[in-house]
Order: sequence, then C-alpha cells, then structure tokens
Amino acid sequence: MIKFERFQLENGLRVLFHKDETTPMAVVNTLYDVGARDESEDKTGFAHLFEHLMFGGSINIPEFDTPLQMAGGENNAFTSNDITNYYNVLPVNNIETALWLESDRMLSLAFTPKSLEVQRSVVIEEFKQRYLNQPYGDVWLQLRPLAYKEHPYKWATIGKELEPIENATMEDVKAFFKKHYNPSNAILCVAGNLELENVKELVEKWYGSIPAGTKYERNLPKEPVQTELRELTIERNVPSNAFYYAFKMPDRLHPDFFTIDLLSDALGRDKSARLYVTLKKEQQLVADISAYILGSLDEGLLVISGKLNEGISFKQFDDALWALIDELSANKLSDSELDRIMIKFRTAKEFQEQGLLHRAMNLCNYELLGDPDGVNSESEKYHQITTDDILRCAKNILTKPNCSILNIKADKNAK
Amino acid sequence: MLNRTIEPALKEIDHIDFVAPKKYAVSGRTDLYHMKEVPNETSRFELYFDAGKAKGIDSIAGFVNGLLLSGTPDKNSIEINSQINALGGFLESGISVENATISMYCLKENLIPILTIVLDAIQNVAFIEKEVNEFLADRKVGHNVSLEKVGFLAQREFQERLFASNEIYSKALKPSDFETVSIEKLKEFHSENYLNGLEKVVIVGDLDESEIHSIIDATKPFANSKELSFAKDLSNERGSFAISKEGALQCAVRIGRILFNKNHEDYLDFLILNTIFGDYFGSRLMSNIREDKGYTYGIGTMVAELNHTGYFMIATEVGKDVLEPTLKEVKYELNRLQTELIGEDELQLVRNYMLGQLLKSADGPYAMTDLFLSVEVHGKDLEFYNLALSKIQNITAERIQELANKYLNWEDMSVVTAG
Repeated sequence: MIKFERFQLENGLRVLFHKDETTPMAVVNTLYDVGARDESEDKTGFAHLFEHLMFGGSINIPEFDTPLQMAGGENNAFTSNDITNYYNVLPVNNIETALWLESDRMLSLAFTPKSLEVQRSVVIEEFKQRYLNQPYGDVWLQLRPLAYKEHPYKWATIGKELEPIENATMEDVKAFFKKHYNPSNAILCVAGNLELENVKELVEKWYGSIPAGTKYERNLPKEPVQTELRELTIERNVPSNAFYYAFKMPDRLHPDFFTIDLLSDALGRDKSARLYVTLKKEQQLVADISAYILGSLDEGLLVISGKLNEGISFKQFDDALWALIDELSANKLSDSELDRIMIKFRTAKEFQEQGLLHRAMNLCNYELLGDPDGVNSESEKYHQITTDDILRCAKNILTKPNCSILNIKADKNAK
Repeated sequence: MLNRTIEPALKEIDHIDFVAPKKYAVSGRTDLYHMKEVPNETSRFELYFDAGKAKGIDSIAGFVNGLLLSGTPDKNSIEINSQINALGGFLESGISVENATISMYCLKENLIPILTIVLDAIQNVAFIEKEVNEFLADRKVGHNVSLEKVGFLAQREFQERLFASNEIYSKALKPSDFETVSIEKLKEFHSENYLNGLEKVVIVGDLDESEIHSIIDATKPFANSKELSFAKDLSNERGSFAISKEGALQCAVRIGRILFNKNHEDYLDFLILNTIFGDYFGSRLMSNIREDKGYTYGIGTMVAELNHTGYFMIATEVGKDVLEPTLKEVKYELNRLQTELIGEDELQLVRNYMLGQLLKSADGPYAMTDLFLSVEVHGKDLEFYNLALSKIQNITAERIQELANKYLNWEDMSVVTAG
C-alpha cells in the first residue's frame, strides 16, 4: 500500500506527496504531459532534444546540475513517446534545493544559443551511439512506421532522422516550451520523510507564482484499424537473422491492458514461457526469443522478438510461431501456468516498490491516467484475471491481420 | 516578492548510519552474512564461488558458470527453470576475473525452497551434451553480436593491455574456445572449483535464525577448502593501441592503468580525484567534452578493484571525426589537474556531492549489504566509511594536485581506441 496526499495549486499544478520515514533520501519527480507523440511530423525528435535543453540553465539559475550536486543530489530525465519525466534524488534535508531548481525551469528557461548548439551535437552523438552504430540499433526506426500509419507512434523518440535535430532553431525551442511546459501540463511528486504541511508550504512558495499557461489540448490523428498482415524484410550487416512480430493492442486504460500484459508473460517472460520452451528448447529454431508489451498510453504493441538459429529460415520459424499462437488461441492456460506467471508478477512488484523513486514516478503516472490511487488497485486487477480472459485476448490480439513483421536478414555486404 | 536567484540554505551531512549484516561461520574460511532488517517480503541470496575466469584457460570458467543450471541426471534445464519460476525466483549469474556468483531474487517465503533447487542443480550438473551444444551455439551468437560493437572491441583490447603482465588475466574469449571445450574439461573445472569452491553466502531478507542455520547446513558441503590465490603485481602495457572497425560511425575509447584497491593509503583520496575528473555529471571531462564541445553522449572515469590490486579507467564513445580532439582534451584536463590547484567552490561541490552519494549508497538493506561486502572483501569493516566521510570533509586542493601528479600521467596509460 503506497500512501499519498494530493493537492493542486491555483495555477493548475497537480502535486502528490508520499511519506517514507525509513530513508534519509528524498525524491522530487516532475512529469510533463508531453512526449514524441506531440511532435509535428516535420520536427520529430524535438521532445527529446528539449529534455536535454532543460539542463542548460533557467531564467534565474545559470546551471541546473551544479546547485543540485552541491546539495548532495543527482538527477536525470527521460523522454518516451508519451511523456517527459525529470527526477532528482537528494538528501531529504536539502529537499528545498530541488524544488527551487525545478520550479525555476518550469517558470522559464534561459534559452542560450550555446546550450542549443552543444545539446544538438550531444543528441546527434546519442542518435549514432544508440541507433546507428549498434547491430540491430535501427529496429525501432523501421518497425514503428510499419506498425503505425497515421498515429505519431510511427516515429521513435530520438526522431525519424537526424535532419530535424540539425535544423532546430531557437524559435522552435521557445514555442515548444510555451506550448508544453507549464503548471497545467505538469505533475509533481515529492517523496521522503517530510510532513504534508511543510511540503505544501514549500511547493506553494516556489511554484505558486508560476503563470498557469494554456492547457495543451491533445488532438492526435487516430490510427486506422489494421486489416491485413504487414511484412518488411531489410538487409543489414549483422551476425544473425532477427525477427520482430508486433501486434496491435488496446490503450493503457482499456480493461484488457493488464490481461495482455500477462499474455505477453505467458508467451515470453522467462525460460518457462511458451516461446522459449517450444521454439527454442524443443524445436531449436531460435538462439533467443522473448515477448513484451510497450506499455504505451495510446493503442500499443505486443512484441515477439528474437534471433534465428543458423540454418533456420524465416519461413520455418514463421510456421512454427503461428502454430504455437494457434494453440494459445484455442486452449486456456493451465492453472499452474497462470500461478507461475502471477508469483513472478508479485515478486517483481515487491522489488520495484522498494524503490522510493519508482513509487514517486508511478504515482505521477497514475495521476496522469486520472487516479493516483491506481498504484494501489493495480495488483488486485491483475489478481482477478482468469485463464478465460487471457484466452479471449489471445484470440483477439494474436492474429495475422493485426500483426506487423520486421525481418532483419544478415548480409555481410549490407550497409 | 520571492527572489529566485537566492538558493535555499544547505544542510551538511555529518553522520551516516552504517549497519553490518550478521556473520555466521559455514565452514573453514567460508562465512555467511545475513542482513535481516528488510521491511518487506523481498529477499536475495548470493553464492560466491572461487571460480573466476582466472581459474582456467580458454574461457572454461565462463562456460561452466553459464551451464550451472543446465540439468542433472534427474532433471533437465526446462524442469529446473520451471521449478524456480513456479516459486517466483529471478536468477542472475555473473563472472569476473576473480570470482563467480549466483544470485537469486525472490519472496522470503520461497528463499529456502529455491536455494534447495539451485544447490541440487549445481551439485549434480551433468553437462548433458545437447544442453552444452545449445549453450555454446547461443554464446557464439551473442559473441558475434558483441564483435559488432566498438565499445566491446575497445574494452576487450583494453583488458588485454591492462593485464598484459599476466597471461591468464589478460585473455578474452576467442572463437577457438568454442571448438576446444569438451564435456570432460567442463566437468573437471566444475568439480575443482564449484564442488569445493564456495567462498561466501550472503542472505538479505527477514528470515529467522533457524532458517539461517538450515542454509548453513545446506551450503556446508560446498565450502572452499583451498587457499585463495589471486594476482598480486599486475602492470599494464603503456602506449596507444588502435582497433579498426570498418563502417563504424563512432570510436570507442578506453584509457587507463593498473592502480590499487581499498588497502592502499591513497585509495580514498584518489576516489575524490576520480570524481572531480570524470565520475559525476559536473566532472571536468563531462563539462569539457560533452557540455562544452558536444563531442559525446557521455564520458566517465572509474576505479575498479581486484583482490590484491585495482585499476583506473576513462571510457567514452565519440564521433569518429572528433577522436583526436577528444584525446587532446583528455590530456588537457589531466594536465590541468596536475598544474592548477582546484578552486574551493569546485572542491566543496565535490565534497557535498560525494557525501550525498555515500548517504544514498547506505540507504536500504540491499544497498547497505553491498556497501559492506565491498569492504569485507578487503578485510575491512564499516569503520572504513567513517574514514571515507572524514577524508571527503578534509581533502585539500594540494592533495588532489599531488595525487594527479603521482597517478595520472599520460605516459603511464594504456590508450585503446576502436572504430
């Protein structure tokens, strides 16, 4: 049970406070309701580039990192297709330093040309390091536009390509800030051994006078229903043939979301899961294989991916995979199989919830979904899932017309 | 009106509570450490074996470690895994030059049942031919992917140059290892280094005394009966070494030298120098090479420890066109540490940052146990961290400069680039 208090400032900032008496550290987590899905198609990669610029100094404070380190803390941030999240972990005695820093960059950035120039290069190096200069690194640059035709999930957070990052201007940066970075578009969570009154007072002090800004109304293109199998084979200079099967699944608030999460566990969470036991150990078709869901807020993907064993063709694997899926869509899981999945779920959750930062982020995520108490009802929802539910979802989701297949063919002469 | 340019007052950290796990003798030199103060249902066990890479040749140690749960005469690997998974266990195995570990994360009610399965699997592993062949094929696939990564190529070359004085420490996995390995060699290594090779058992979790005693009884047959023997006087091969990788967009860089571990009198002060140089976001290298020049997504330094020695390393991946300018800036920063005294503002920043990080690394039973183990291995106790606190509080600019001159000379480094 994660206890929390919730309040809202007049400017619209939503605030959560989670008390933990057992730790000398505190967390200040800020979720901005903006991700790569909110970018325009000619300026992809912008939400992430902007995340870097948030560390380049704010209106009253020349540098973000130095004062936080001086307070014994550290920080980082990440951008996803849905959100941008910034966090600070520091000794609880110095909590006010984090609120001072975070509130100032919510008020306004310094927008220095130097910061834009440097972070532009850093992000270009990041693009190379993580996506271009790794074997299989460009998979998501290829798979997203295959699976999505209209919805902005068709590009990755790093962006479609390098050009928009290379060409970003200061006007773009300022416009992005004005549109997305204001109290009405943010959720703050303060966690640690503090008192509610004290937290209220500090948050009011540092955030109370920030203008509300205009609430951004999201209006994204809707992804048309997929009606037929999509396949793409690309050649790359990689050591093994690799496959990615992406099945459309409902959005985060859909009642079947958790059921499909368990379905992905049944398929490919560990070495007792269907894919590993059947396709690897029994049939020896693959070197590795797993299944997982992306967890997107809008219509998402369940992905099965892995690498083929030498001498096995994509066709051989494809036939075997669909046979396995047919079986999973025809017969319920055994009770012991579901028990195994649930004990792993419970164990993983116990470990995750030990972390103060994890709890703070999760509270913000659930506030974004509309109810922070969702952190506490989630487990119960998982425990109510039956083998009938999983069978129904397998039938609905794991079908050819709902699937996009990306095959990467190993070719020594490819780029 | 709120003045946002004035930062809130800071409070100093002058005291940290360090809690040691309770120690039990298993047998001979093998001990069990138990951290009981866990406020939830989680638990972890770790088995440390004297079965590191340096215990064998041709990658045999890594192969045996990866095959520990591959099946016994009674159970195949699928059955072993499904028994562990049915109890919610998350397994991790790891191997370094000097030891091998098996770690399990689970709910405390399942710890002893899972441990029983794991010990039986390790005791009776049969190295079934089919399992061995599958395992080797998978490793080969993984290895071939690694060979495409400049970071891996640089790290492998760096290890060879770093441990150049010791043939067995410097050897990395090579393609012929997959051919020369045999069932007999696997069995021999296992029987020599696992069946009597358990060095240490670590339990984190709210288990009671009787449960700990049953764990002691169960692990006793594995207790190490041999003297530990690790390399003492390693020295790195100085100079520059370039690996070429066609088509790479980036170049991976590893620069470093053999240094020391916690038993050396300069260790703690050097750790402060290491932080200033490259071990936090505001470090000299990050400020210059990422935040000023934009040459890289990240650059960092580290101090790593071995049983009798240790090493220092700088690591980064940079655009191919800016490799030379990057090396020039690294040298510039080294030289600056040696010739200019660090300013009091920067030194105070590093003091405060390190104290905050020390507080964090002692936060919670798992972190605290790991903090304890990292001194225990060098024959020290938690008093070491109180010493660290006072060293951080009392460090001077002169001392930093002295250590930079003593240990951070470019001529002493092995400089590896791959790209």
